[in-house]
Amino acid sequence: MFRSLRSVKTPIKSLVRTYATEGEGLKLSLALPHQTLYSNSEVEQVNVPSVNGDLGILANHIPIVEQLRPGLLEIITKSGETETYFVSGGLATVQPGNKLTISAIEAFKPEQFDISEVKNLITDAQKRASSSDEVVSAEANIELEVLEALQTIAK
Amino acid sequence: MFRLGLKQMTPIGARNYATLREIEMRLKSIKNIEKITNTMKIVASTRLNKAQRAMQASRVFHESDSEFIENAELEAKEADKTLLIVVSSDKGLCGSIHTQVSKAARKRIEALGGNVDVVTVGDKVKTQMLRTHDDKLKLSFNGVGKEAPNFNEVALIADEIVKLGTYENTEILYNKFVSGVSFEPTTFGVFAKEAIDSAPGLSKYEIETEETSEIISEFSLANSLLTAMAEGYASEVSARRNAMDNASKNAGEMINSYSILYNRTRQAVITNELVDIITGASSLD
Repeated sequence: MFRSLRSVKTPIKSLVRTYATEGEGLKLSLALPHQTLYSNSEVEQVNVPSVNGDLGILANHIPIVEQLRPGLLEIITKSGETETYFVSGGLATVQPGNKLTISAIEAFKPEQFDISEVKNLITDAQKRASSSDEVVSAEANIELEVLEALQTIAK
Repeated sequence: MFRLGLKQMTPIGARNYATLREIEMRLKSIKNIEKITNTMKIVASTRLNKAQRAMQASRVFHESDSEFIENAELEAKEADKTLLIVVSSDKGLCGSIHTQVSKAARKRIEALGGNVDVVTVGDKVKTQMLRTHDDKLKLSFNGVGKEAPNFNEVALIADEIVKLGTYENTEILYNKFVSGVSFEPTTFGVFAKEAIDSAPGLSKYEIETEETSEIISEFSLANSLLTAMAEGYASEVSARRNAMDNASKNAGEMINSYSILYNRTRQAVITNELVDIITGASSLD
């Protein structure tokens, strides 16, 4: 019995990834204008939806500045749980010193959205997108971009 | 006005009914004033908590920006024209908060040699700036600062400011919340796209698209403005609480001295009447 346990245990251990600086996790600050969701807390990995594509950021990432696009922000905590937030936009900056600061305008959990309401808003925005007024259609297009991203993640 | 009244009244002494009535009325009005200032103090105290929470959140929100500025070694350079955004609010009765920030603004304008365009947020600071630098005032906003700022209104303000054109240097002057009893006028620097592009420390960061620096610049403006307004709001509320606390205390002191005066006057009137009655009665004997 003991042997069988051990044989199960070893492969799991080999799956655990180690880093050059073990223990130095990525310090994440996720801030909204009116609320702070994470403040300098250590996390395993953060998947950021940027305008240049999705980025997975681990500890000791090189410093970058990325503009966010509407999409799903995934935070994998030290204990391996995944927290997801839908963000509409903002900036993600990896600072020198293993710090990731994300300034988003709004962030909500996917389960907080109502899919039927999203669909209503999409039809409404589509109407306005074909408007002859340039400003109105530009605003509607931005709205559509956010809503369409939202549609794919809302349940 | 009240102090003047007190002076007028004491030397005359209290010998007639008119003065007694006057003192009574004055006492009543001071009591009402105390009630009002006390209520304003309580309202400000309850708002302070919320304001401080908003300020704390906005500080964290701004942190990423200030860290970027620090790491990229962005520094304000000599510029032909600076845009100074002075952040305050519409409402008074909060001590020297508006005066302090406009005083600092005047000093800054002088230090920059007058090559400044001014944008004001809040009516109070607008009237103060108009008095001395009406030619420099380009744009002003009001109706903000009634409660903690939200990003939406800040974005609208930032949008209007961006329409003014590009300035190499933009400075935001606001009241920084230091503690419950003190605040100090402080500035944020906001940097234009060109300044970010030529920053000595920018190479530390990897930036993929060229637009990013423009986005950083615009986002940073809205960001700093939000923090400035949140800090300004918190300092204003706490200053208002202190001002109203002092006003209530002063009103209490005045009520005390007026009550003593009122009682003394009443006693004097009674004594006078007694003297009259007794003199009249004794003359009949």
